[in-house]
This record gives sequence, C-alpha cells and structure tokens, in this order.
Amino acid sequence: MHQQLMQKNMSSLVKVLGILLLLCLTISFFSCTKKNHYGVEADIPGQGKVTLSLAETLRVNLETEPPTLDWNKSSDTVSSQILVNIMEGLVEYDIYDPQMKLIPALATQWKSSDNSRKWKFTLRQDVKWTDGIPFTAQHLVDGWKRLLDPTTASDYAYFLFAIKNAQEFNQGKIKDFKEVGIKITAPNVIEVELIKSVSYFPHLTAHSSAYPIRQDIIDKFGNQWTNPEHIQTLGAFTLKSWQHDKMVLLERNENYYGKKPTIKYVVGYIIPEPGTSIDMFDSGSLDGEDHIPSGEVKILSKRPQYHVMPSLLTAYYGINVTKPPMDNVLVRQAISYAIDRKQITDFLAGGQVPFSSWIPTGVFGYDDKIGIHFDAAKAKELLKKAGYSEAKPLPKIEIGFNTQEDNQRIAENIQAQLKTNLGINIELKNQEWKSFLSELKTNAPQIYRFGWMGDYPDPDNFMNLMTSYSDNNHTNWKNKEYDTLVEKAAGEGDQGKRKTIYDEAQRLMIEKDTVVIPLYIGVSQFMIADRVQKYPQNVLQRKIYKGVILK
Amino acid sequence: MTSSEAVYATSLSPSFSQRLFAKLGPILGVGCVLWIISAIAIDLSDNKIPFEFWVAMFTWFFASAFYAVLHQKAVTYVSKRLVEALVTLWVIASLTFLLLRFLPGGPFDQEKTLPPEIKANIEKKYGLNDPISTQYVSYITNLVHGDLGESYKYIGRNVTDIIKDSFPVSFQLGFYSLLLAFLIGIPLGIFAAGKHNTFWDSSAMVLAISGVALPSFVFGPLLVLIFCFGVPFHALKGTLPPALWDGPIYYILPVITLGIRPAAIIARLMRSSVLEVIHADFVRTARAKGLAKRVVMYKHVLKNSLLPVITISGPLCAGVLSGSFVNEIIFAVPGMGKHLVQSVTNRDYPLVLGLTLVYAVLLVLANLVVDLLYVVVDPRIQL
Repeated sequence: MHQQLMQKNMSSLVKVLGILLLLCLTISFFSCTKKNHYGVEADIPGQGKVTLSLAETLRVNLETEPPTLDWNKSSDTVSSQILVNIMEGLVEYDIYDPQMKLIPALATQWKSSDNSRKWKFTLRQDVKWTDGIPFTAQHLVDGWKRLLDPTTASDYAYFLFAIKNAQEFNQGKIKDFKEVGIKITAPNVIEVELIKSVSYFPHLTAHSSAYPIRQDIIDKFGNQWTNPEHIQTLGAFTLKSWQHDKMVLLERNENYYGKKPTIKYVVGYIIPEPGTSIDMFDSGSLDGEDHIPSGEVKILSKRPQYHVMPSLLTAYYGINVTKPPMDNVLVRQAISYAIDRKQITDFLAGGQVPFSSWIPTGVFGYDDKIGIHFDAAKAKELLKKAGYSEAKPLPKIEIGFNTQEDNQRIAENIQAQLKTNLGINIELKNQEWKSFLSELKTNAPQIYRFGWMGDYPDPDNFMNLMTSYSDNNHTNWKNKEYDTLVEKAAGEGDQGKRKTIYDEAQRLMIEKDTVVIPLYIGVSQFMIADRVQKYPQNVLQRKIYKGVILK
Repeated sequence: MTSSEAVYATSLSPSFSQRLFAKLGPILGVGCVLWIISAIAIDLSDNKIPFEFWVAMFTWFFASAFYAVLHQKAVTYVSKRLVEALVTLWVIASLTFLLLRFLPGGPFDQEKTLPPEIKANIEKKYGLNDPISTQYVSYITNLVHGDLGESYKYIGRNVTDIIKDSFPVSFQLGFYSLLLAFLIGIPLGIFAAGKHNTFWDSSAMVLAISGVALPSFVFGPLLVLIFCFGVPFHALKGTLPPALWDGPIYYILPVITLGIRPAAIIARLMRSSVLEVIHADFVRTARAKGLAKRVVMYKHVLKNSLLPVITISGPLCAGVLSGSFVNEIIFAVPGMGKHLVQSVTNRDYPLVLGLTLVYAVLLVLANLVVDLLYVVVDPRIQL
C-alpha cells in the first residue's frame, strides 16, 4: 500500500510540476505579446484600466506616497505638490516672477489696515467646485475653523495663530469659533483681525493648510473624503485616481475658472529610489525627474536635460552655546571664520550657493555681505584670544548630524578644514534621523547640522527660527534684543526700514554672538525630458502643472 | 520535530501518518494547482488579487487539512499548535509594543518642531498622552477586535487598509519568486549531486554561491542594465521595463532578483542532502535490483532528500512572501517590505505593530505547514 501511495503521489507531483511549467510558459507568452509596455496606463476607479494619450500626459516621479491629501492635515512636500495643483488658496505665487510676487487666486484683492493688523479679502464669485457647487466665503471659514480645531490636530494650525483668539481656540480655551477674528462681512468679503502686525499675512493664505474646504463632504465621508471618488476641489486639476504606493493621476479640470492647462493628465509615479527613477527617465518612461542622487550630480549636470532652480532651503551648523568650549563666543567665531563655504559647494557641484547670512536669495532682505566670511588668519587669532594654543588645546568638539551621504561628506570636509586652518580635532557623530531629532531637543551636540526649508518667501519665516521662544531653536541661545527686532520687523510696512532691522538682527545672531554657521543655500535640481517645453516651479519647489507645455 | 511534538507522536496510531498522507497528499496537490490557476487567472485579468481571496484560500486550505485529520485525534495536535501560535503572537505584539516605546524619538518629531499645544492636540488624538499601560491595554483590546489602529504617518488610513493594499503585491511577487526558486533550486541541486565532483557540479555550485553572495541591489540594477538598456547586448534594449508594477511584464525582473537567492540556497541544500541519501543502504539495494539510475533518483533519492529543503522553506516562504525592502525599492513595487522598514524610521507605532504581526502570522503558519509536510514526505515521521 505504501508503495502504491508513493507512486500515486509521485505521479500527481509530476502533474503539478507539469501544470506549473505550462503556466510559466503562458505568462512568458503573454509577456512577449505585450509590446506596448511604455504606454501610459492608469487604473481609474469605476473605469478600470485606461490608456492615456501620451501627447497630453505628463509623467513625473513623486518619490514617496503622499501621507494624506487632507490639506488641513498635510505637512509634507509630496502631498503639497499634489495639493497646489488640485486646490487653490486666496492668493498664489507668480511662477514667472523671480521675486515670487503674490497674485490673485480665489481672492481678487486684499488690503490691510491698522498697521497690518486688519486684513480684508475680496473673493471671486465665479468659482465652482468640481461637483458644480459655487465657492463661497463660508467654505474658506470652514477650512480655517477645521485647521484650528483641536480635534483636527493639524501640524500647521499655528500658521493662523496671529489671528485673534485663534491660539486659544486651538488650545481648547475658547469653544465658540465666533470669537475668533475671522468674519464674513459681505457674501464675498472676509475680514481678519490679528493680534499683532503681520505684514506677510497674505503669504499664509497661499499655503495648502489654509485652503477652503467642503465641510459637507468631510461630514459625509469621514476619513475617506480624500478618495478620488469623494474629493471635491477647485484647482486646475482634479484627483482622478490614487493607487497607494503606486501612482496618482490628475486630470484637467474642465470647469477651472482660470486659464486651462494645456496638458490633460499628470501621472505621478511613486518611485522611492532615485537611481531607479533615473533609469525610468532614461528609458523614456518619465518626463520630469526631481530627485537627483547627490553622487550622480557631477555626471548628470553635464546633460542638457539637467536644470537648476534656486530654492528656499538653507543648510547651517547650529551651535549649542551652553556646552563648553562653545559657550565662549571667541571659539564660535574662530570656527565660523575657519570654514570656507566655497569648498563645500564646489564638491557638492549641484549649483548650491555659499552662504554666510540667514535670509536666502529670492527672499526680501537677502544680503550676502552680512555674516562671517572665510579668513584663516583671523580664525587663528580669535582662537588665541580665547586662550587656546598648542600648549592648551581645545577640549573635544563634536559635530552631530543625521545619517545621510551629503551630511557625511560636508562634515568630513569641515573636519579637515578645521584641522588645517585651526589645527583642532573634531569628532563626527551621525545618528538615525529620529534619534538625532530627539537628541537635539534634549541635549543638542556642541555643533549640529540642520536645515530649514521656507514655508513662504518672507524673511520672518527664517528669522523667527532663532527667537528665544522658537521650538526650532536648538542652540539654547536666548536673546531678548533679537526677539524684539524680529517682532518689530514683522509688522514694519516700510520696506527700507524693515530691511535695516533684519540686517541688524542677522548681524547680532551671526556676527556678534555667532550661534549659527550658515553653510549654503540649496537648489532644486531636476531633469526634464526633451518633449517638455515648459516645466515651471516656484521657489517652494512645487511644480505648477498648469504651466506645463509639451512639444 | 521538537521534543514536545514527539509526545503527540506516541499518542497516535502508527498507521495515522499513512492515512494522513493518503488524504493530505491529493488535497495539497489539487489545492496548490487550484490556487495557482486562480491566482494567475485573476492576475492576468485585472492585475489585482483581492485580499479576501487569499484569506479564503488559506481558510479553505486549513479547513481541508483539518477535515483530513479530524478523526485521527491529530486535531489535538493542530489545535494545540494554533493555541501556541496565539500565545506566540501575543508575546510578539507585547514585546514589539514595548520595544517601540524605547526607541529614541517619537512619531511626531520632525524637522520643523511643532509648537507644544499642537503636539498636545496630536498626542491627545492618538491617545499618546495616556500612561503606557492604558495604551497597551487599549491596543490589545482593539487587536482582539481586529482593529490595528490608524497609521500616524498616513493620516486617516487604517493599518488594515495599508496591509490590504500592500500585502497582496508582496505576496504575488514572493509567490512567483518562490516558484522560480523551487523550479530552479531543486533540479539544479539534484543535477549537481548526480554529477558529483565533475565540472558540471562545480559550475552549478559556482552559480549557486554567486546567487547567495550577490546582493539584490547589485543584481537588480545589473538585470536592468542588460534588459532595459541593452548593455552589453544591444538587441536586448527595451525588452523589459526598468521598474513599476503594472502587469506580468513588470514582474519578471523583480521576481528573478528576489528568487535567485532562495533558489541558490535550495540548490546547495538539495545537493548536499542528495549526496547524503545517495549513499544510503536502500539506494544501494534499489541499484542492486537493477533499477535505472533515473528511477532510483526520482523514486527513492528525491523524496528522502527533500526534508532539509522543506525545513528551510517555512521561514523562507514567510520571509519572501512578506516582501523585501531592497527589491521593492529598486523596482518601485508597491509592496509591504517597504513599509516594514519605513514604518520603523517614521516611528509609526501602529503600522510597525501591524506589519510585525502579519509577518509573525506568516511565519507561524509556514512552520505549521512544514511540520505537516514532513509527514507527507517521510512516513517515518509522525505528528
């Protein structure tokens, strides 16, 4: 019996193997017959697989899955990249203006009074949501209310904290939203009352977190309201399909109130590995590639498809002023003088700009004369003055940074520069990102690498960073004078005076007290295929698809 | 077979294994074939296997296995194993829960530090301001009700939904890779052993060792270079797409990249195992009876040398089916392996826990299947 069973089993095993082999052959047959694999295919809910006409389609890489398309809650760049194209705020940035002028979007005009404490926005009345419902002032107020609501738990709620009672509402101290300084005074007029002078307030309304919302849709679908079949938007594109971790498909909004885009579809693939997306680009499957691996910049930058645009990204070394020997301002200055920023941007080779001040190019108030510039002789002199010499060397100094290729290269370069220029030994310590963040908050290293990507092109967004009450100031440097200057400048309407105040504040922080060592201004590097004629983006590094033109 | 399992062995009648074998063999065979056919059919039609399909298949598979052994007292064995599995899962969930809290940095630490009142709102929303014990109790309670919670990173998405979206993809990729691994590994191992100490043996093993030694982040791009960019064979340019997951043609490169390593492991294991069995008395007897070399190889040696391969295929299956980080990143595959790594980087506690549990369930099930398979392959082994 045993023998029989074995034989029976063996024969069935052979059959199984045979069937498997057949199936494999079938797959390979199917594979070979399918030759058009570079066509643009997309799954659309309710319609199944659809082939899009390549001539009207832009294919880009979003890099990562957008964590959420709920614009009140989103706080990352990928979500924002999609949101700026499907939604609009009261104002938007002129992509063709290097100064990033604000131009009307949902608001036709805006005016301030009472020294920028009161703002009045007049809204367009010809705007319709994708389901045909007209846009009203109430949608905007709903959006702001939801942004501030403590149960929404939005990261960017603090964007509106300048509004009267907004912070109290967010903290739950005030329950009634009517007490918050946002009023609809006429069907198409919104008036905002602030607690302090904020000359850049319209910038905040361009941010995705402050877009209008459709509370009825959110109430109806809950967490699912951002699904393509539920979401209602009013931008130049609509969300047609969202396949998690795979692709996002945008379609032209035929009811868009402004000039309609020339392209019909935008396919955003989610390809996390830059090497892979360069492969995709080279094989003709991508039109725009925004993620250039730093190791390949040298080779790729020689190609005609490579482009560089300025950005609001600044990279700097912060100094924890409570840890000796960094508590000595002379030591801090010596180190800052001993670093040649040009060397760093040269080996990064991606078009980054050496940087010594705090407000980056493209933003009002930029002045590259401010700050400490490389001077090895002066650095040595300052170190000597601080009481350190070969006989009495500096105690151990550590540079902390999060594990990343560029951070490592920069830290090694600075380590070498400080060795040659000052003769001091630096230790490098890299950490995983979240561990690094938690150490910054509790016990920041003597010198730490950090960066800041501006939320809006106004100097306040950068200068506020180092105030004594800023949560992003990890230096432990608290200077009342600096705080006063920054607050004063925020409300200053006169551009000339405002610049003078910012100059003074920058000098105080960088030259006099030297709590930060600015290194360079980042750029956004990208490749565009030859079939793309125009691929506009703003300084916040968002691509504006409605301006895209294909050949 | 562990010592605890040996206890059950004595409690069962000696003929049990044969009866189990008689019933389980065809069930396994037919099941696998049905499974593969429907998977591929669904796959070719709309390129997405519903999660329910796998659940149904698993349930069916185990239900029939149960039925086969129902009257054999072995139900005790399987149910005891399942209870053990539940305890294992509980321990894993608790340990992961605790260890995550020891990781420095929280889920909402980010480059732009949040103002304290905003962080308080967020922590309140996710219950992170409660004491750890309260959090633990509510997590386990929800878990028992099948609720894995809401992801911290992917706001508004349930962990269950994320697993539902990504697991079938990883499973699909892993399934074909394993198929490839077995189809290459077993014949290659037998072939090498048959040509023991010849040129063929050495070349096969050089191949296998390179398969183990080549990391997928080298092997994958190498394949891309050959099949997408035609280096060095220009005729191959554009044969296959470099990445994405849009249909059978997109599967080929990731499947080969993922499958080559298990294939190599299996081949090496198979070879050494065959070499061991080939010198056994019963093989010599078979040869002496005058049976053809091929018959001896396939009827006597093959089955007896499968045991080590079956042993390793449990963890191998669980590992491959739950997705591979590197492979999924290189080929932009929307699978689960990617989440497994990124959720830890993001400190997305509910997602880490959910994925760990899925992996644990797979591992436990795979090991159970392996233990049942032993009986099928080797009648000397009893439950």
